[in-house]
Amino acid sequence: MEWMQRLLKSLILMIAATPTAVTMAQEEPTAKRCYLDGWGDSLACYRVPVGEADNREGLAVMVAPAVNSSGREPLYLLAGGPGQAASDLAPLLNAFRKINREHDIVMVDRRGAGRSGAFNCGFEREMPADLQQFSAELAECYLQHPGFAEQLNSRQAVEDLERVRRFLGHDKIALWGGSWGTRTALLYQQWYPQSLRALVLDGVAPIDTKVFLAASAAEHALQQLADDCAADSGCARFGNWRGELQQLLNDWNDTRARTFPDALTGAPTEEPMLRWALANAIRSALYDPAAAAQLPYAVDQASRGNYLPLSGLTGLFAHSSNGMAMGLTFSVACAEELNRITPEEVARDSAGTFLGSAFFDLFATGCKSWPVQAKPYSAPEPRAQPVLLISGTADPITPPVYAHTALGYLSDKQDLVVRGGGHINSRRGCIPELIAQFLDAPDVPLDQSCVADIQRPPFMVAAYGPAVTVDSQSQPQQAGGQL
Amino acid sequence: MMRRPDYSAAQMAALLRKELLETWRDRRALLMAICFSLMFPAMLAGSTIFFVKMHTEEKTRLALLGVDNAPLLEAQLRSADLKVETLSEGEPRQLLAGGYDLVLQVGEGFASDYRSFRAPELYLYVDSSSASAGRAERHLQERLGQLQQLIAGQRLVARGIAPQLLVPWKLQVRDVSTPSSRGAMILAMVPGLLILTLFVASLATSVDTSAGERERLSLETLLLQPLPGWQVIAAKTLAVASMGWLGSLLAITALVALMPLMPLAELGIQQATTAAGVVTMGLLLLPLALLVAVVQILLALRSQSFKDAQTQLSILQLAPVILLMVLDMSRVELSDHFWQLVPLVAQQQWLKSLLVGDAVSLPWVLAGSLATLVPVVLAVALGARALRRERLLNAV
Repeated sequence: MEWMQRLLKSLILMIAATPTAVTMAQEEPTAKRCYLDGWGDSLACYRVPVGEADNREGLAVMVAPAVNSSGREPLYLLAGGPGQAASDLAPLLNAFRKINREHDIVMVDRRGAGRSGAFNCGFEREMPADLQQFSAELAECYLQHPGFAEQLNSRQAVEDLERVRRFLGHDKIALWGGSWGTRTALLYQQWYPQSLRALVLDGVAPIDTKVFLAASAAEHALQQLADDCAADSGCARFGNWRGELQQLLNDWNDTRARTFPDALTGAPTEEPMLRWALANAIRSALYDPAAAAQLPYAVDQASRGNYLPLSGLTGLFAHSSNGMAMGLTFSVACAEELNRITPEEVARDSAGTFLGSAFFDLFATGCKSWPVQAKPYSAPEPRAQPVLLISGTADPITPPVYAHTALGYLSDKQDLVVRGGGHINSRRGCIPELIAQFLDAPDVPLDQSCVADIQRPPFMVAAYGPAVTVDSQSQPQQAGGQL
Repeated sequence: MMRRPDYSAAQMAALLRKELLETWRDRRALLMAICFSLMFPAMLAGSTIFFVKMHTEEKTRLALLGVDNAPLLEAQLRSADLKVETLSEGEPRQLLAGGYDLVLQVGEGFASDYRSFRAPELYLYVDSSSASAGRAERHLQERLGQLQQLIAGQRLVARGIAPQLLVPWKLQVRDVSTPSSRGAMILAMVPGLLILTLFVASLATSVDTSAGERERLSLETLLLQPLPGWQVIAAKTLAVASMGWLGSLLAITALVALMPLMPLAELGIQQATTAAGVVTMGLLLLPLALLVAVVQILLALRSQSFKDAQTQLSILQLAPVILLMVLDMSRVELSDHFWQLVPLVAQQQWLKSLLVGDAVSLPWVLAGSLATLVPVVLAVALGARALRRERLLNAV
């Protein structure tokens, strides 16, 4: 039996000699399993220590691990606002499923946002409609945390991001920025170009562009909606609804504000719909082409005295302030944007627009209660990383012209422009596929032909919704025009 | 059995050399082992590739009849997955036979009924006996559902109701599976197939070395030699096991080599098998290969004839595999560590873990392998006793 024993012994030795397969524990920073709303799979969640006393918990970092760990660079998602949390971008993972096969997707809630101690000043659900009251509440919040408000800024967000990159042991990374997140991404590119492989920027807010001057951009988006409406046989019947909208806003008064119906409860409204709030609600509707498609009908009805459709449309954004941490929003916006905007620029931007200064005033009033120091940027230096720009021609806050005129210092950029697209187009049509292709080979020009297939949703033409047939009423008009 | 060990080792070596030589010289047995070992990984890879292609790349062709009654449908239904072709006329049955996956018919009064909120009918013709019917219907429902939601939303807004009132709550699904546990679903049959490979690859050899030798009368000559019975059985077992083991090693290697070709990532499955994992899998199967070989030899020896041996072993090779599949499908909870002391079940569980990149515990693997080797030793002893019976040689 000695022979057998020897065989057994050698067998045991052979099994013992392959410890890597038998105990495959990985030595990495410890992650907890967690979930985010809008994405069903579990994520690896970390707490990354930053700052001192005011940040005992550390930054919340959430990673959707790549299905195959093939060593491709991870993609970090940067949220908008300022004040939105990256963890709120989790639903985007559904569109980025293909990217997630090879790339880890990382979401970092910046200090003062989301799970990294949301600095929301008590505005968790809704903001008071009255600007003075809002301003007073904001001032009180500032006085409680002046030091914290002073240190929240883009520089800190970028430094924290770099710390997270090193903490997770990532070499080069790719960034996806949406809206204000594109500003953070472009600043990261200025300060840490060596850590970057590629950038995807959707709704671009270039470093030098004053994005809070939003009136002209919103007007441009509205005008494009009007043009597309006029070209649509069903929508064209609303005629000069753009003029009616102006009339509506001009004539808006206390009685109308108080009798404006509430789209959620069906009861008479508790908070009056003030003129500036209505103008901002219309601006908000332009963000999303599906909502914008209902605007001509709603305005047409309002001009005939039926305010229900307009109320239903504004009801779409009833809880849209969720997720913006106002303390963070004002700390960054006041320090980096508002103080570099002159009254003359505001006047020039708002002249002849439906919005006027209704959007700007909200921030200008808020910043009076939020006296943080100005934190100017230096002029951007040339950068050569591949950049993919995505914009919608009817974006009311970051129109394509920003990306086209203020990014001359970038030498390697590709440009996807969605006709009739609103704010943020990364989920639409073939865009997710093109982003995946870009991240696979950032230096190869993309075949953009499929972008043209992305259409505006059908216009609402009557109480029944969109027209299913070419409308017979407006046909003679068009024919008449041709004669 | 009583001979001195120094003689025994030299004899054993000579005997083993003879048995191995005979085993590996049998070209047909070798070819059969190789063929089967390569066949199942190839089939698994092929079917996965085919399955994913079917589900992700195939476009649905939809014939739209009566589009003049609702031109909106044509533009809104078209998508990357759904190819919409408008036809002025056609017979649905013929269109379905002629290459369309679905036929959607819009009736005459559609537009006027729609405008007066009367919910007009849309007719969907489908051949549910066709393999693509389910996928095609899913593609259409996806687009049609979106359009339906858009219209319902607009109708609510028109009446001053925020469309989110249709969503009383949001159901957030939280999937507790991991990429490796999703992999376990697709790869669940692999351990059973690897074990089956062991049986199949060693079948021909085990029959030949026992019942075959008996019929060729060369077993008698062997038994006339001054050799202890256990050495004869052990040498034959090792020779047979070498064939089975190599077959399963070949299968593992082929499987792992084909994995990168399989579109596992599309199914959300990680390719987690490591080189060390492959080596470990091979080693895990060695004790089992020995057990399978010795049981096959014993059964073949006590059979009536060569043919009888073949039949018995064919049944034997199916029994454990079916048992494992039943265990797997009936979802018997095997997480209890003591299952790892049961031969076959133990190897199946370990292979399953290693295939999806999970860890196996070394002490339990050693204990389980030992538990597999104990019956091997017992079977060798049993075989040695059986060889002393003369009746064994006469059974032809």
